[in-house]
Amino acid sequence: MKKLILFLIGIFLFQNCQTSSSDSSFSPSSTGNGTGGSLARFTLSDGFLYTVTNTDLSVFDVNVADKPNKLKTLNLGFGAETIFPYKDALYIGTTTGMKIYDNKNPANPQFLSTYSHIYSCDPVVVQGNYAYVTLRSGTSCRNGQNSLDIIDVSNPITPRLVKSIQMLNPHGLAVDGTNLFICEGSNGLKSFDLTDPLNPIQREFINDVVSYDVIPTQKRLIVTGKNGIYQYDYTEPKSLKLLSKISIE
Amino acid sequence: MKKTLLYLLIINLFSGCYWNKTQQYEPQKTDGYRPIYFSKDDYEKISVTSPQALKLPGKIYIKDNYLFINEQSKGVHVINNRDPKNPQKIGFIQIAGNVDIAVRGTTMYADNGRDLVVIDISDPTQAKVVNRLKDIFVLPTTDFPPFFNTFFECVDKTKGVVVGWQKVPYDSNLKCFR
Repeated sequence: MKKLILFLIGIFLFQNCQTSSSDSSFSPSSTGNGTGGSLARFTLSDGFLYTVTNTDLSVFDVNVADKPNKLKTLNLGFGAETIFPYKDALYIGTTTGMKIYDNKNPANPQFLSTYSHIYSCDPVVVQGNYAYVTLRSGTSCRNGQNSLDIIDVSNPITPRLVKSIQMLNPHGLAVDGTNLFICEGSNGLKSFDLTDPLNPIQREFINDVVSYDVIPTQKRLIVTGKNGIYQYDYTEPKSLKLLSKISIE
Repeated sequence: MKKTLLYLLIINLFSGCYWNKTQQYEPQKTDGYRPIYFSKDDYEKISVTSPQALKLPGKIYIKDNYLFINEQSKGVHVINNRDPKNPQKIGFIQIAGNVDIAVRGTTMYADNGRDLVVIDISDPTQAKVVNRLKDIFVLPTTDFPPFFNTFFECVDKTKGVVVGWQKVPYDSNLKCFR
């Protein structure tokens, strides 16, 4: 019996030892693109890097990763803020509207349309036939309203507002299947059931975080906020489980 | 006569502007902006340091079990997130003026002021620059913050290059206004 216990302790120690020693420096996978948030100005789609500045969209071929080849720069007008790639299109949030570019040929995006009913600082995410955009007031951008707008982009040449839902002060957002998450700034973080893509139903409203942007990955949420970086498990989407917080000092 | 009229008209326009500014847009002295400086010599120097405290985090990027957290205008915190219950800061990549990043495989793309830099992160604690594309990005002017009706600390160019603006509570050092 004693021997068995000793043996188990030995195994236990060894396991611990293994994880900690191999953990100090490991390499990211040599393939695949990472994931950014809804407020990103850089995004990758296959072997192409897209960057958005205030006025321009630039396209780089990064198939040879360490030798980006700048292919072209497209003028976006003024006030571009974010870029979100989805299937064959790029969705660009600007202070004056959402611009959609056809991306079937990733080296040569083609302008399709501007959805110009938006006048705030607006991140965009897309899933299925719909774009989800948050509009908020109180920024350096113009007029504001505080809402989540759902825009039908099934025909990206004629995007069409289908619903506008009142929010408090929404910032970044994320969709993952039947889950929608919205950062409400100093008001907190909201989680919605998105089983019906046109009818998000609020599941939870966490008030004790100041949240700005959110990235979903492997049923985990990474939330950036005023006081830290939070990670939540949403395996059970009805109630988000706080895993950790990296504090701001 | 025509000239006088024109002159009066111009004066009138000016005073109109002036009054508008002082009467309607008198800002409250609650907060303002302070420039974030970077010394000219260090601007292009990209190096990895020991983990730093998060002070003014910006955007986040996820690649496999790593989190990359931008520290506004200063660089990127590297976080080992293999155990999301216990994320570990393992280093800081100093990149002046940095706002955005993206990662493909083991290659990071980052803005370093006007330049796009390509950084090999096969071992993120030994990250090194492998390429630099000059003058890719147009920066907003650095003489004042990109906001109106706000107080700010006047730029002192002897302190270095302004790479960003930090929002701070109002104090008497915020002598400039726009």
